[in-house]
Amino acid sequence: MSRDLSHLLEHPAIWRGRSAARMRVFPTGFRALDEGLPGGGWPRAGLIEILPSCLGVGELSLLLPALAAATQRPEARWCVWMAPPLQPFAPALAQCGVALERMLVVQPQRKDAEGKSAFWAFEQTLRSGACDIVLAWLRSALPRQIRRLHLAAERGATLGVLFRPREAARDSSPAALRIAVEPAARGARVTLLKSRGGARGSIELSLR
Amino acid sequence: MRHRRTLELPFQESTGVPAPQQAPAPRPGDLPRPVSDRPGLAVAATIAPAQLWLAVHLAASPSQLAPQDLERLGARAQRLTPRVSLDPPDSLLLEVKGSLHLFGGVEGVSREMAGECLRLRMPGTLAVAPTPLAALALARAGRRLGLPASLTGVPASQLLVTDPAQLVGKLSPLPLATLRWPQDTLGRLARIGVRTIGEALRLPRAGFAWRFGTAQLQTLDRLVGRASDLKDRFEVRARFRRRRELLYELESQAALLTVLGPLLEELGNFLEARQCGVLALECRLWHRAVPPTCCVLRLAAPLADPAQLAALLGERLSALVLPEPVRACELRSGPLVARVLDSGGLWQPGERGGGAAARAPELIERLRARLGAEAVHGLQVVEDHRPEAAWEVRELGAHSSGSQCAGARRTVPLGVPGGGGAGPDAVEAVPLAVPGGGAPGPDILSGRSPPESARPLWLLSVPRKLRELHGRPRRRGELRLVGEAERIETGWWDGREIARDYYTAVDARGVRLWVFREREPPHRWFLHGVFG
Repeated sequence: MSRDLSHLLEHPAIWRGRSAARMRVFPTGFRALDEGLPGGGWPRAGLIEILPSCLGVGELSLLLPALAAATQRPEARWCVWMAPPLQPFAPALAQCGVALERMLVVQPQRKDAEGKSAFWAFEQTLRSGACDIVLAWLRSALPRQIRRLHLAAERGATLGVLFRPREAARDSSPAALRIAVEPAARGARVTLLKSRGGARGSIELSLR
Repeated sequence: MRHRRTLELPFQESTGVPAPQQAPAPRPGDLPRPVSDRPGLAVAATIAPAQLWLAVHLAASPSQLAPQDLERLGARAQRLTPRVSLDPPDSLLLEVKGSLHLFGGVEGVSREMAGECLRLRMPGTLAVAPTPLAALALARAGRRLGLPASLTGVPASQLLVTDPAQLVGKLSPLPLATLRWPQDTLGRLARIGVRTIGEALRLPRAGFAWRFGTAQLQTLDRLVGRASDLKDRFEVRARFRRRRELLYELESQAALLTVLGPLLEELGNFLEARQCGVLALECRLWHRAVPPTCCVLRLAAPLADPAQLAALLGERLSALVLPEPVRACELRSGPLVARVLDSGGLWQPGERGGGAAARAPELIERLRARLGAEAVHGLQVVEDHRPEAAWEVRELGAHSSGSQCAGARRTVPLGVPGGGGAGPDAVEAVPLAVPGGGAPGPDILSGRSPPESARPLWLLSVPRKLRELHGRPRRRGELRLVGEAERIETGWWDGREIARDYYTAVDARGVRLWVFREREPPHRWFLHGVFG
């Protein structure tokens, strides 16, 4: 009886408060974080926001296990880095198991006014359906734009990761998941600011 | 062993004794056998009766001829027969048997061909024979013998062989040099007194092959028609070029794209008929006074779909500033490239088992069309100990489309399964891969310490100088150095020598940095990476 009920509850049309039904995810590689996230990992389709207190506090290491796992699958699609603030260092990525032949770096021109071409390229990449994960560093993003990006990511079945400064936490955002990252004694402290159907609170992780 | 094998070969050219019937089955490496051992009969039997070759040997020396000259003549010769083949650097072959009745026999075809040569100002010697090599040899011999070129273009009687039975007789007096064998071979033949084709044909086959090589024996076989001689057919390199005059001047890019639509449609049909695609497309916009605006589209994979080309051209045009309204537009294709069509996937991208990045070239094209070709690139590791030299940009050319990458990717054994396998589990999860084929990499799950030579995820393209206080580096406050130094030095072989001690440093905000101190005075401190 209870098995029938649980089977019924797995139907994708049924949405329950604390567990997203049948959500396809990439495991984060951190057990504590998986437990806190809806579906048990990064969603495979949709836009998430990561708000580090400043560049390099561990926001990239947080994603590395998922990047490595996603690019090493036989049916892997591209993993795109959109307008990265510094040069991604290939040997370190290879060391962490990221398959570089699946990686693409897109660097719009420096003179790009208000990040318009970066936004356009981010949306095109999410919508194309040719990518598994798209990491993007945009200078500014309005809630209306983020909504657009989220829809594009869902259409292309792509995980879009938008890195924004910590101050953006005050603005509202339609992203499915918003997490803040701060340095901690042995790694990073991750705070779930918003997670549809997931837990709230802080989790301390030890990074590489 | 080799000697024995060559002796087994039937060679009865002069005696006419039939070969033993119990000849062993041919082994790889055996010399080619003539179909029959009686040359007179063999020629008649093996030459396809429906072949007659017209050879044109141009008078100009090869150094004066550009490759395009021969192609131009080939294109003109296709008026006479579809079976034209080029013999660089200075000869052309036409199979004219089928065209004889259209142009009035051998004389008519020869006259037409000579006319084409004269029109292009490339006079040459013509010869006709049942095999292509024989025709070529006759034409070359005609030049060497200094036969007067007849004004009508009809070959002299010495250079005209239509009856296969007369072929060997006509070829026999020709010097061997007409076959363009290596000088060394010709010299050795001359030393045993063999100077003409007839003398070479009279030599024993086995001994000839042994002394002068099987390639030369095969040439002789093809020359007299004992072996078939396949020639590549020449095809004109086609390009697409269409110009459209506009009835009124256009200023907006959107309207331009509408006008270009029919031209692109025509290009699509042109390419589809040839099963080809283009890698480059040029769009020229003509104005009233100023020189035309050019807009060149370069593609990563051959493309023929007008809709996709229109989308890419639209991106490129939207970035263009028009100096004046447009009065005419023109499309020019680059060289045509054979397009290999692959079958569409059953699954949508992103679904389980879905096509791996089949649409990636399309995405890359689109990004490049708007952002520029250099804005999109890949990365690869270079085996070098210096951080600056340890990576480089990987070009995404025509051969780095998704399927190529998928083929080149190594398969990685999967480690810790996530989500509990394939049961009726609500969560479908990707198994977490263990990098490096099972060897434990940086183990994040168990929180072990990273390997000794940890590298930062971000690298500054140019190291940034750090401020110092009492010899200690500072950045937003004092930096705390963690762990031991890693010394990276030398590089004298390419002039980029370094001598540095690298440290991991933590700044006041808790960011881990990769800094180094120069080993040479003045021992400055630099920031080179961020661990991220």
